[in-house]
Parts: sequence; C-alpha cells; structure tokens
Amino acid sequence: MELIINVFLIVLGLYFGLGLIFGLYFVFIGGTKLDSFLKDSKKIVRLLLFPGVIATWPFLLRKLLNTEQDDS
Amino acid sequence: MGLDYKFVLWNKHKKTYDKFIALGMVLYLILFFVLTLVTNAELTVETIIIRAFGSLAIIVLHIILIIGPLTRLNPKYLPILYNRRHLGVSMFLAALVHGLFSIINFHTLGDKNPIVSIFTSNMDYGSLHNFPFQVLGFFALLILFVMASTSHDFFLKNLSPKIWKQLHMLVYLAYALVILHVFLGAFQQETSLFTIGILILGFLMISGLHVIAAFKEGKIDSAKGELDSNGWLKVCYTDEIEESRAKIFTVKNERVAIFKNEDKLSAIHNVCKHQGGPLGEGKIVDGCITCPWHGYQYLPHNGQSPPPFTEKVNTYELKVLEGIVYINPDAMAEGTEVAPIVC
Ligand code: HEM
Ligand code: FES
Repeated sequence: MELIINVFLIVLGLYFGLGLIFGLYFVFIGGTKLDSFLKDSKKIVRLLLFPGVIATWPFLLRKLLNTEQDDS
Repeated sequence: MGLDYKFVLWNKHKKTYDKFIALGMVLYLILFFVLTLVTNAELTVETIIIRAFGSLAIIVLHIILIIGPLTRLNPKYLPILYNRRHLGVSMFLAALVHGLFSIINFHTLGDKNPIVSIFTSNMDYGSLHNFPFQVLGFFALLILFVMASTSHDFFLKNLSPKIWKQLHMLVYLAYALVILHVFLGAFQQETSLFTIGILILGFLMISGLHVIAAFKEGKIDSAKGELDSNGWLKVCYTDEIEESRAKIFTVKNERVAIFKNEDKLSAIHNVCKHQGGPLGEGKIVDGCITCPWHGYQYLPHNGQSPPPFTEKVNTYELKVLEGIVYINPDAMAEGTEVAPIVC
C-alpha cells in the first residue's frame, strides 16, 4: 500500500511540476499562438489562467503542437 | 463573445450577485463562530475554522448542484445559473481554506511531507469506521481545483467545449467524495448532527430535483408528431408560438427551436455554441435570437452570429399549411441561409 501511495504521489507531483514549467511558457509565450484573443487581453488575465494551465497542460500542449503543425 | 478576454465578465447584475455571495459567506462564517463559541467553548480556533469553512463549502456545493435542475423546471431561476461559475470558485476557495487548515493542523508536525502524511498517517484503508477519510477530501479538493481553475471562457474555448463539459461533470464525483469524507469522518470526529442532517436532506433534495427535471425533459423528448407525405414533421399551429419567442421540439433526436420574428418563422438547432444553453428558451432581441444563458446571439434566417462573431448553428426548413407548421427533419449545415416562412 505504501508503495502504491508513493508512486501515485510522485506521479501527481511530476504532473504538476511539468505543468508549472509548461504553464510559465504558456502564459508568457505559447498562449498567444493558440488563441489570438489573448494578445489583446489585459496581462492580469494571464495570471488568472495560470492555475488552469497547470491543471490541464497535456490538452493545451497537444493543441499547441497541432496548431504549430498547421502553420508550417 | 468578446474579441479579447476579460479578467472576469462582470456587469452590474453579476456584481450585485457577487456581493450577495460574499456577504452570505461572511455572515455564515460569523454565525458559525459565534454559535460554536457559545455552545462548545473548549474547541480551538483552528478546529472552528476547519469546521466553519468545510461546512460552508459543502453548503455552497449543494446550491450549485441544485441550480441546474431548478432552472430546467422554472426559467425564473436562470439568472442564478449565469452566476454559477462565481459560486463554484467561491466554494473552491472555502474548501481550500478548510483543507489547508486541516493539513497545517494535523500533518505539518511530523517529519513527513504533509501530503504524504494525509495518505499514510492512518493506513486503515480496509476499515469502515476508521477509514482515512481525509484522503477522500484531498481527491475532492483536487477535482474542485481543476474545475475552479478552468472556469474561465478561455478554457471552454481552448480545451474544446466537450472536454470542458466532461471536466465539469466531475463535480458529481467530487460531491460523492465529499459526502463519504464527511460520513466516514463522522465516525472519528464528533461531527455535529446538524451537519449530518443537512447532508441527508441535501442529498434527497439534489437527487429528487434531478429526477423530476429529467422526467420533465423526457416528456418533451418523447412528444412525436405526424409525418406528411414528404417526410416533413407536423409540429404545431402557428399561433402556438409567441412573437419574438420560440417553441422547442425534438426532431430526429435533436432539439430544434422554432422562433417567430415579425410574424415569420425560422428554425435553428436549440443548442448554443457557447456552453450548450437552450436557445429556444431565449428571446429575439434587436432581430437576433439571444441565448438565455450568457447572451450569445444568432440571426434567425441563417443561424450565424452577427459579424464580427463566427459562431454558427444548424438551420432547418419549415413550411406552413393551413396554419400548421411542418419541419424538414434533416438539418441544414451550420449557418445555412433558410428564408423565414410567413405564417
Ligand atoms: C485536502 C483536503 C481535505 C482535508 C485534509 C480535510 C480534512 C478534514 C478533517 C480533518 C475534518 C474533521 C474536522 C473536525 O471535525 O474536527 C474534516 C471534516 C469536514 N470536511 Fe474536510 N478535508 C478536506 C477536503 C474537504 C472538501 C473539499 C470539503 C467540501 C467541499 C470538505 C468538507 C468537510 C466537511 C463538511 C466536514 C465536516 C465538518 C464538521 O464536522 O462540521 N473537506 N475534513
Ligand atoms: S450558453 Fe453561454 S451564451 Fe449560450
């Protein structure tokens, strides 16, 4: 049981750790590539989006990669 | 449907609601503190904070879960629905205070990581009356975090409405986890009868309202009309639809709203592109069908949002014979122009 708990918590920690790194990239740079509305929005909006980006980063990463493929 | 994102979509009504929510929550907390101090003076401040915010969160969660079926039963409650997201974020914040104080109070004194400690301080996973109930609270809080942090329209658009909706349906799982958290916790803490009573009443109310609302919608869904020789479906008399309003019908398992605008009829798919709001429960404002939930607009004759917006819904062909409205059950592509029919 201890082992399952430890593995689970490490995976959870990794998920949020990677999310944090992706989140920083996304709110400062990546987000505007995905959604042009963001460019014209106030900067504080990006702060508000930050926790949600950390929580859902795999979806946003997938979408970001898809849009970049379409562009090139 | 702005072209940029706002920090929070506030207008005068929403500000009033938000003040109402904030005031209600503060009043509840004050009342909780005073009553607890009067009735149970030996409790520590930390314990009172934990209980006050935990019970506040679960009460707000009940309100959130009741709003959905309530608006389906009576559109009068729709304005509360617009504000449900703010209610959701407020609930998460209350639950967060509860969770953080519990962690500080029970899990920061040892040498273990506090999160690990939630999972391992009590390993009685096989037991019912000594189950580590805080783990259930932890998972519920995790779900509430994902929901609250993605409640902005940005995520609705960029995660896709489908994934967003699926994420937000997790609220029911969170609700189940919280219920278990409190019930299993009650075996170990002296949880008040008041809290347990509220939970049981709340559960009956939430499930009851959901069943009644589903039953009512089921009735609309099963209303079947006759087909004419061309396979068009007879739906109603022209005078059954009020000016600037719609009636909703089910055609080939899809909801369709038939609107009357200046004595002409137009039919569009009933589901708003924003968050699936019921367009047929909205009105025509300035010539546009206006979603009752957040005000997205569509032109009756082509189902398109007026420029510069780009949303489109399916349209349907209609005909009127001797005052009876018929609809072609095959939807036109989204945004297809269909000339309105004079009644
Ligand atoms: C990390 C997450 C959580 C932890 C560590 C936690 C911990 C606890 C603890 C230790 C108690 C017993 C307190 C006492 O009676 O002395 C408790 C009770 C309770 N919790 Fe949580 N909890 C968490 C999440 C949640 C969430 C998300 C909710 C609701 C949305 C919630 C609602 C409640 C309620 C209603 C009670 C009963 C309060 C009472 O006794 O009147 N908890 N929790
Ligand atoms: S659902 Fe939000 S405007 Fe229609």
